[in-house]
Amino acid sequence: MIDILPHILNGLTLGLLFALIALGFMLIVGLMEQINLAHGSLFALGAYVGLQLLGPKPPLPADWTATWIALPLGWRYALTLVIAPAIVGIAGAAVELCMRRTYGKDPLYGLLLTFGAAMVIEEAIRLTWGTRDYVLQVPQTISGGFIFQDLIWSTYRFYAAGISALIIGLVWLVIEKTPFGAIVKAGAHDSEIVRALGINLSRLRLAVFIFGTMLAAVAGIIVAPIWGIRPHMGVDAVVPAFLVIVLGGVGSFWGAVSAGILVGLAVGLSGAYASEWSLLSMYILLVAVVTFRARGLFGKKSVLEA
Amino acid sequence: MNGASPNSPDAARLITPTMLIVWLLLATIPLWISRIGLYPYLGIEILIWSIYALSFNLVLGTAGLPSFGHGAFFGIGAYAFGLCQFNVSSNLWICLVVTTLAAAFAGALAALFISHRRGIYYAFMTIAFGQIFWTIAIKSHSITGGEDGLLKIARLPADFGFVSFDLKSNVSFYYFVLAVFVVIVIALWRLTHSPYGRVLSAIRQSETRAAHLGYKVWFYKASVFAISTGLSGLAGGLFAMAQLAAFPDVMSLHQSGYIVMMTLVGGGLVSFWGPVVGVFTFLIARDVIGAMTSAWMLWFGLLFIVIVLFKPEGIAGAFRSIVDSAKAKARHAQGMSALRLLFRS
Amino acid sequence: MALIEAKGVHVRFGDRVVLEEVDMSVLEKECHGIMGPNGAGKTTFFNVLTGRAKPTRGELFLDGENVAGLPPHRIARKGVARSFQIMTLFDEYTARDNVMVALPQFRDRGFDMRRAAAGDSHFKSEAEKVLADVGLADKADIRAKELPYGDRRALEIAVALAQKPRVLCLDEPTSGLGTDGVQRLLGLAQKLKGKLTMIVIEHDMSFLFSLADRISVLHWGQVVARGTPLQLQENPWVKRSNLGKFS
Repeated sequence: MIDILPHILNGLTLGLLFALIALGFMLIVGLMEQINLAHGSLFALGAYVGLQLLGPKPPLPADWTATWIALPLGWRYALTLVIAPAIVGIAGAAVELCMRRTYGKDPLYGLLLTFGAAMVIEEAIRLTWGTRDYVLQVPQTISGGFIFQDLIWSTYRFYAAGISALIIGLVWLVIEKTPFGAIVKAGAHDSEIVRALGINLSRLRLAVFIFGTMLAAVAGIIVAPIWGIRPHMGVDAVVPAFLVIVLGGVGSFWGAVSAGILVGLAVGLSGAYASEWSLLSMYILLVAVVTFRARGLFGKKSVLEA
Repeated sequence: MNGASPNSPDAARLITPTMLIVWLLLATIPLWISRIGLYPYLGIEILIWSIYALSFNLVLGTAGLPSFGHGAFFGIGAYAFGLCQFNVSSNLWICLVVTTLAAAFAGALAALFISHRRGIYYAFMTIAFGQIFWTIAIKSHSITGGEDGLLKIARLPADFGFVSFDLKSNVSFYYFVLAVFVVIVIALWRLTHSPYGRVLSAIRQSETRAAHLGYKVWFYKASVFAISTGLSGLAGGLFAMAQLAAFPDVMSLHQSGYIVMMTLVGGGLVSFWGPVVGVFTFLIARDVIGAMTSAWMLWFGLLFIVIVLFKPEGIAGAFRSIVDSAKAKARHAQGMSALRLLFRS
Repeated sequence: MALIEAKGVHVRFGDRVVLEEVDMSVLEKECHGIMGPNGAGKTTFFNVLTGRAKPTRGELFLDGENVAGLPPHRIARKGVARSFQIMTLFDEYTARDNVMVALPQFRDRGFDMRRAAAGDSHFKSEAEKVLADVGLADKADIRAKELPYGDRRALEIAVALAQKPRVLCLDEPTSGLGTDGVQRLLGLAQKLKGKLTMIVIEHDMSFLFSLADRISVLHWGQVVARGTPLQLQENPWVKRSNLGKFS
């Protein structure tokens, strides 16, 4: 029975990552009332920018490069976790500026617009980095594996699960315990309230969009060593993330987290017994749940359907 | 309104003047396509994808159902055609009927689960089913050949009993596909303007109202989905003949996205011919821009963004507006409200 | 025996009780008014009556048959038609097409894919007759969304009437109308009165009191008072809420 544990760990890791991507996505849906299909592409972009930063030719001013390369890998990795999302955040801001025209209009607009944006970003990635797979270098301490109870465990999975859970916790703190979070929640409920409070709504939306994008980019960097970096990793992530949201119920924080873990476990466990079919399990899960619960596990009626 | 305005004389016609002009133009394509630097095979592709896009628009434009997994049914058609040819019969007609029924059956199966859903949940369920069928196609090596595809599919001869046409050359196959296209256009035009089509369009405009008028909404939604997927499958079968093979690629989420894109870019929400315009634009852009730069998807993506932002009524809508400039505003508004309706409950 | 008989209808959404325990009976050909403050559960009661909401418990008899929880299309086919407080029309369709789609004969041919709908002049003339009844005869070719507000309200009623209903449910038909519009509607409603069973939710008391045979007052999800308009004039709740407007 115990040999199932590593698969549970894999599933949990994957689930937390899906949840992380889904949360950034959901913040954007909440405040813009638009679906950002480019979320996955920004996630992929995060992985590629991380790759570039940790590679031999970082995209930094020439005089900084030497200093940067001289840093130990651990430091560079830790800094990359912050710098790469910031850079991707700029791309996110560009998407947000295009999306502005769709606010207050129907979700299909945003959906189509960001489908276009996703195409553009993915194609830009292909043109810049080519179509081959890359491997992201990570510090020694979090790579490799160890043997415990006669089973091989991947250190990185523990790290990935841990840091994802940590970031999810931070997001929760930001949303629940800070004035910024209170405004975001109020705005998701009714954007008029935000205006009435005298807050610049378009700046708030830009900030939230960048925040959501950064969460996707961080997830991209964390996922990279597990999946490898390739152009269509965006789609591989964005579909499960959307699915997590629909499954958990649009607009529910813990719905997204629990659905993420559920999907991760479904994929991880089915991967253990029928790896060929593991991706199928999450779709079957979705069909099973939505057939009986029209709005997912924790969903309420949402702007996206009414 | 999708198609002719319901009260124009064209709505009651079986064959309209526009159809005749379009068919005539299409019939001349093999005569000149090579001279402008393109190739006859492109014509086949355009016709097949037009059949596919018109069938898809029955769901998206007429009934207002956001289906993002239609590629699966196109692909199922392609595989069904090959498998029928290998295992059942080498009669073209039998194979095409089996192809259509197989895809319609798969569509009906999906429809049973999704037809009670609306808006975003509907969209996601279609994605889920698309992915399920796609995964099955990729993973069932022994049946579909997996990622390598199902190869050696033959272009069976079109046997009419008294005369039989060989379709091996691209030109004769082109005319065969054109004949199918003609039949599908007539059928879909009639269907769109029949009482059934009216009800579908009413459901698009207000599902709630239609239900309170006594219409069994889910059954309409399910039936139109099955019809649309069946015809998409037929197009897939023709595509398998064209390519002499069937590949899982057409079932992917990307490809399902492209059919949505073609339909919308062309103006499928406001015009019967919109999907055809979209297919022309997309495939010719692919070849023309693709010949100039390897980044054609980048440019097409940007073009698409511009269209969504500024011309939600699509190319066909914009073109009609230029012809009839007084209606430009109305058409634009129509495009917008048609988009809106897709996601209203 | 009453045509419509609600017994202990209870509706709960999550932990929110919307209808506590509603009993109501409506006689054949009666015009029954429902009034009460916002959030009293009036529209929810309509939704139960027309199949849009399922009662958590309770029974709802239509001509002796329990219809509680049936889907909207089944109830509609039993002859219950409704209008909506927030207008729900087929906006892209002309007034005539809105009515045409509502005709039961058209509905019976709903799965006909072979003939052109436009070719059938029978539907057309039938629809135009209904439009004439509500005073929209000369506006048949205008798209619903381009009609003025008052005409849209009238079209809502035309669409409901086109179904040849036994029971007509009107949810705040006067909302948003000016004095003229209300007068026009009142004329129309009075013409219909006695020909079919009507249930009308309304805030405008003078409208309701001059139309209804009997009125039920809904408050906190319960019927707190019922009676003829004359009886209700003495009711404290009615007096408190809106008497000025009534007189």
